[in-house]
Amino acid sequence: MQLPTTREDHRIAWLAALAIAVHILEAAIPSPLPGVKPGLANVITVLVLMLFGWRMAVWVTLLRVLAGSLVIGTFLSPTFLLSAAGAGCSLAVLGLAHRLAGARLSPLGLCVLAALAHMTGQFLLAWWLFIPHPALLKLLPVLLSFSLVFGLVSGTIAAMMYQQVSRSP
Amino acid sequence: MMTRADAFVILMAVLLVAGSYAWLWTPATPATQVRVVAGDREIARLPLDQPRQLEVSGPAGITVVEIRDGAARCAASPGSQGICQQAGWLRQAGDMAVSLPNRVIIEVLGDEWVFDSVNY
Repeated sequence: MQLPTTREDHRIAWLAALAIAVHILEAAIPSPLPGVKPGLANVITVLVLMLFGWRMAVWVTLLRVLAGSLVIGTFLSPTFLLSAAGAGCSLAVLGLAHRLAGARLSPLGLCVLAALAHMTGQFLLAWWLFIPHPALLKLLPVLLSFSLVFGLVSGTIAAMMYQQVSRSP
Repeated sequence: MMTRADAFVILMAVLLVAGSYAWLWTPATPATQVRVVAGDREIARLPLDQPRQLEVSGPAGITVVEIRDGAARCAASPGSQGICQQAGWLRQAGDMAVSLPNRVIIEVLGDEWVFDSVNY
């Protein structure tokens, strides 16, 4: 059986494959705190958003979360739910910010927004679903600090990549 | 390559993180008074702003309750493991030090009542 595919489908598949690779490589990095990781896959999401638009970024990110979890073996586990909540939240914020600010926001600002939104989304889900204890709120400032730092790092990477990519035809 | 909108977003993000520390890391309910229970009855209820020492006698000996600087602690107790003393200074409403051998409970209370701990 052969399904007809468009050029856009192929592009989504290639970019999703790239994002999945980053996602899996990143899963190998040990983390001091649950929920804290560099979020380098966000670089791909933000670049796709800037180059090809929000719809495409949603496709690439959802495929990354789904296929990434299947490969790592966390599909439908709490980790997967947290990842999906974070991705959903960050896509919503990215879509809104991109629509409002357009080209005035560079990948740096978008990555910071995405990182904070991702952390907030997964934290709210963790609080609501897994540990509904007020003490968990004490962890939020620490987690937000981490996501701000990592957002700045991934934003710098994304900004450098964007310059390279948008220069070449 | 950083735009003005980027700078605005980063500034807002820093303010958000700083605000979350200020909002979530301030102590919940400060304690204002201490309640001392020996056996099955309350033997004292004292304000925390007046320094004081209180000796409570129980079946195992004497437990010394010290009140100073808006906090209370169990300064000495006959229990062999020192669990009562290890609770340290009690300053958040709901904090508690207990000497089981001497059957003494030292609990600090705030304006609103809170649990000493909650587990899920």
